[in-house]
Amino acid sequence: MTQQPIIRFDNVSKRYNDDTTVLSNISFEMERGKFYTLLGPSGCGKTTILRLIAGFIEPSSGEIQFNGKKINEVPPNERQVNTVFQDYALFPHLNVFENVAFGLRIKKIKQAEVKRRVEEALRFVNLQGYENREISEMSGGQRQRVAIARAIVNDPEIILLDEPLSALDLKLRTEMQYELRELQQRLGKTFIFVTHDQEEALAMSDEIFVMNAGEIVQSGTPIDIYDEPINRFVADFIGESNIVDGVMIRDHLVRFAGKEFECVDAGLDTNEKIEVVIRPEDLEITSPERGKLIVTVDTQLFRGVHYELSTYDRDGNEWLVHSTRKAQVGDEIGLDFDPEAIHVMRLNESEEDFDRRLESYEVPDHAE
Amino acid sequence: MGKQSNAQKLFLALVFIILYAPIFFLIFYSFNSNGTMSSFESFTWEHYAAVFDDTRLIMIVLNTVIVALLSALISTAIGVLGALAIVYLKNRKLRNTLLSLNNVLIVSPDVIIGASFLILFTAVGVRLGFASVLISHIAFSVPIVVLMVLPKLLEMSDSLIDAARDLGASGRDVLTRVIIPYIKPGIFAGFFLALTYSLDDFAVTFFVTGNGFSTLSVEIYSMARAGISLTINALSGLIFIVTIGLVLVYYALNRRNRTPVTGVKK
Amino acid sequence: MQNKSTKALYLIPYGAWILLFVVAPIALVVYYSLFDIHGDFTFSNYKAFFSSVYLELTLSSFWYAFLITLFSLLISYPTAYFLTKTKHKQLWLLLIIIPSWINLLLKTYAFIGIFGQYGPINAFFAAIGIGSTQLLFTDFSFIFVSVYIFIPFMILPIFNAIDRLNPALIDASRDLGASPWTTFRRVILPLTMNGVKSGIQVTFIPALSLFMITRLIAGNKVITLGTAIEQQFLVTQNWGMGSTIAVFLILFMFIIMLFTGQKEKGGASVGKTK
Repeated sequence: MTQQPIIRFDNVSKRYNDDTTVLSNISFEMERGKFYTLLGPSGCGKTTILRLIAGFIEPSSGEIQFNGKKINEVPPNERQVNTVFQDYALFPHLNVFENVAFGLRIKKIKQAEVKRRVEEALRFVNLQGYENREISEMSGGQRQRVAIARAIVNDPEIILLDEPLSALDLKLRTEMQYELRELQQRLGKTFIFVTHDQEEALAMSDEIFVMNAGEIVQSGTPIDIYDEPINRFVADFIGESNIVDGVMIRDHLVRFAGKEFECVDAGLDTNEKIEVVIRPEDLEITSPERGKLIVTVDTQLFRGVHYELSTYDRDGNEWLVHSTRKAQVGDEIGLDFDPEAIHVMRLNESEEDFDRRLESYEVPDHAE
Repeated sequence: MGKQSNAQKLFLALVFIILYAPIFFLIFYSFNSNGTMSSFESFTWEHYAAVFDDTRLIMIVLNTVIVALLSALISTAIGVLGALAIVYLKNRKLRNTLLSLNNVLIVSPDVIIGASFLILFTAVGVRLGFASVLISHIAFSVPIVVLMVLPKLLEMSDSLIDAARDLGASGRDVLTRVIIPYIKPGIFAGFFLALTYSLDDFAVTFFVTGNGFSTLSVEIYSMARAGISLTINALSGLIFIVTIGLVLVYYALNRRNRTPVTGVKK
Repeated sequence: MQNKSTKALYLIPYGAWILLFVVAPIALVVYYSLFDIHGDFTFSNYKAFFSSVYLELTLSSFWYAFLITLFSLLISYPTAYFLTKTKHKQLWLLLIIIPSWINLLLKTYAFIGIFGQYGPINAFFAAIGIGSTQLLFTDFSFIFVSVYIFIPFMILPIFNAIDRLNPALIDASRDLGASPWTTFRRVILPLTMNGVKSGIQVTFIPALSLFMITRLIAGNKVITLGTAIEQQFLVTQNWGMGSTIAVFLILFMFIIMLFTGQKEKGGASVGKTK
C-alpha cells in the first residue's frame, strides 16, 4: 500500500474483566476516504472495534494507530473521530442548532463561525430551517440527520456510524443508504459503518469486514464477498445460500448431492472434504431430463421480484431457488447451473490461503 | 379506560369533600369575630391582623422559611453529589448497600429520627436550637433528593456521555453541559420536596429544638394544645394560599422542564 | 469517563452524611438502650420492655396501626382506581396531593374544632336528634384523623401502579372471558400489588409511631410506641428506656419492610417500556 493507512489495528485484543474475550488478535488497515463496513451478527465484536477507534474503551493488548501514531490511550475528546450513535444520543435539553454546535462550543469557536458551520452542516443533511426545533419535535429520520450533522460539523478525519439506520423503517432506511453513501463521497472522509444488515453492507461499502465471534472472518469488496464467501458462516450470513457437503475429486471436478460436477476450483487435495455453495439465483429451473439436479418442489413463495422455491433432492438436501419462472408445488423439476456458480469452500481455510487460492484461478482466466 | 359510573363519581366527590373540608373549615372560621370554631358571628379580619401584629409569630415564620430554604439548598447539593457517587459506583454490592442506607431515613418514623438525632447532638455537643434544627432538616432531606435525582441519572443513556466525549467534551464539560442539564428536573423535584419536608416537619424538630428556637409546626402544636385560637386559623389561611402558590410555581417549572425531557423516550 | 479523584469527591459529602446521620444515630440508640436512667450499664430496659405494660402497649400500637392502614387502604384503592379513569387524571391527582402539602398540624388542629363539643358534627347530631356526644379524645377520632392524614400518601403509589398498568392486559383478560370482577381480582390487583405494598409501608410504619395526633386528638393517653418514646425522651427524661422502645420500633420497621419489599415482577412496567 502506497498511502499510509488512516487506521491500523495490530494484534488488538479486548477482554473484559476476567475472561470474556470480545476481540481476539485483530489486525487490519483502513485507507483514507473509503467507506468501510463492519458486518456481523450481534456480539461479534464489531461495535467493540468502533468503540476502540472512538476511544471509549482501550484495547487489552495490541496497538491501534491513527495516521501512523499509536492512540491506544488517547481519550475520545482528543481524537479526530466523531460518532453517529445507534440511538443518535442527541442531547434532549438542547435544540437542533445547539446539538450540532456542541462540539464547536467546546472548542470555544466564535459565534459567527459556529453559526456558519452549523448551517452548512445542516444544509449537508438537508435540514436547513430546522435550527430552532427541539429534538423531541423531530422524526426518527430527521434525528438521524441531526446526529450526522453533529458529527460532520467538527470536520473529523473519520466518521463512525454505529448501526445508525436500524431504528428507521424499511423505506427510509433505503433512502438513507443512498444519502449516506453520497455524503461520504462528497465529503471524501473515511466512514466506518457498523451493521448486522448484509444488504446495507453490500449496498454502501467500498470494503466489508465480515466478523464473527471476535474475529474478522473475511474482508473484501461487496462483490468479492458475495461471490466468493470464504466459509459456511460468510455464505450463510451474506445473502441466501445453498450449502452442501462435498468432496473434491480432482482439480475442476467436485462431487456433491450424489453426482460429479465440473467446476472452476483447483489446487485442493484429492478427495478433500469441502463445502459447496450455490446461490439461489444461480439455479435455473428446467425439465427434469435436462437438469443437473433433480428436485421436488416443496413450497413456493411469491417475493415480488422473483419466486422463492424451497426444493429437496433425493438425498434430502434443501435447494433454495430464486426464479422468475413459476413451478408447481409437488412437481419434480430439474435445476441447471454453470460451473462458475459452484463455489468450493475448504474447511478452516485462513483468509490469506483463501485469497491466494482465488488469485491462482484468476491468472489463467486473464491469460485466456 | 372505561366510563365512570355515577357511584364512582359520588365516591370520588366524597373523598374530595372530606379531604378539603377541614382546610376550608379552618379558613372559614378565621373570619369569625366570635373567636370560636363553632358559631359564626360576623366577618372580621382581626385574626389576620393579629398574625401580622405578633412579631414573635412572624419571627417564627421567618425562621421556618430560612431553615426550609437553607436545608433544601444544602441537602440538594449533597443529594446530587450522592446520586452521582452512587451511579459511578461499579461495585454492585456497595451500591446496593448505599441505596439501602439511603432509604433508612425515608422509612424511619419521625420519632426515631428525632430521638436518635437528639442523642447524637447531645453526644457530640451541638447546642439545641437553630443549628440542630437546620442540620436535622438537611439530614432527613438528603435521601429524598437522591431518590429524585437517581432515576433521571439512570434513565440517561450512556451514549449521551459517549457522544459528549466524542464531540470533545472534557469530564467537567460532560458534567456541566450534559449531566446537570439533563437531570435538572430531578434536581428541582428534589429541592421542592426537601422544601416541603422541612416546612411540614413537626416531630423531628420537636425533639431537637431547644427552648429558644421554634418553627411554625412546633408553635402551632403548643398553641393547639393550649386550646382553640383563631390566630392559627388565620395563619392556616395564609399558609394555604402560599402552598397553592408554591404548587403552581412548581408545576409551571416542571411543565417547562418536561417538554425536552420526555423527548428522549422514543 | 471522569477520573477517579472527582468521583471520590462526589462520595465524600454523601458518605459523611450516611455515617453521621444514618449509621451513627442507630448505633447511638442501640448504645443508649443499654443504660438506665442513672447512666449505669444494664439490660433492665429490655427486661422492662417485655413486661406486660409495654407488651400491651406494643399490641395496642399494632392494632391501631393495623386499623388505620386497613381503612386507608379501603378508601385509597378505589379512589386511586377511579382517579385513573377520570379525564384529567393528573390534575385530579394533584388536587388529592395538595391537602398533603398543608401543614399536618393545621389539619389536625382543624379536627379539634370539627369534632369539638360545639363543632359541626355534634351540631348535626343534635339536629337529627341523636344529641351531642364526646367525639374528641376517642379511638374513633384518633383513627379518623390518622386515616385522613395518610390517605393522600397511600393513594399516590397505588395510583401510579394502576396508571402504569398496560391497558392491553385488561383487554386481554376480558377477551379471554374474564368478568370485570375476575379481571380486577386476577389481573389488576396482583399487578398493582407493589403500589399497595408501598402504600402500606408509608402508612403502617408512621402509624406505629404517631405521637402528635394522639396527643392532640386522642388526649394524653399513651397508646402508641411513638407516644411512649416521646414520653420517655421528653417527659420522663429516661433516654435508656426510650432508646429501647426505639430499638424495637426499628426492628419492627425492618420486618415490615421485608414483608412489603418490592419484588421486581415487572408486570406494571412491561406495558410502558415497550
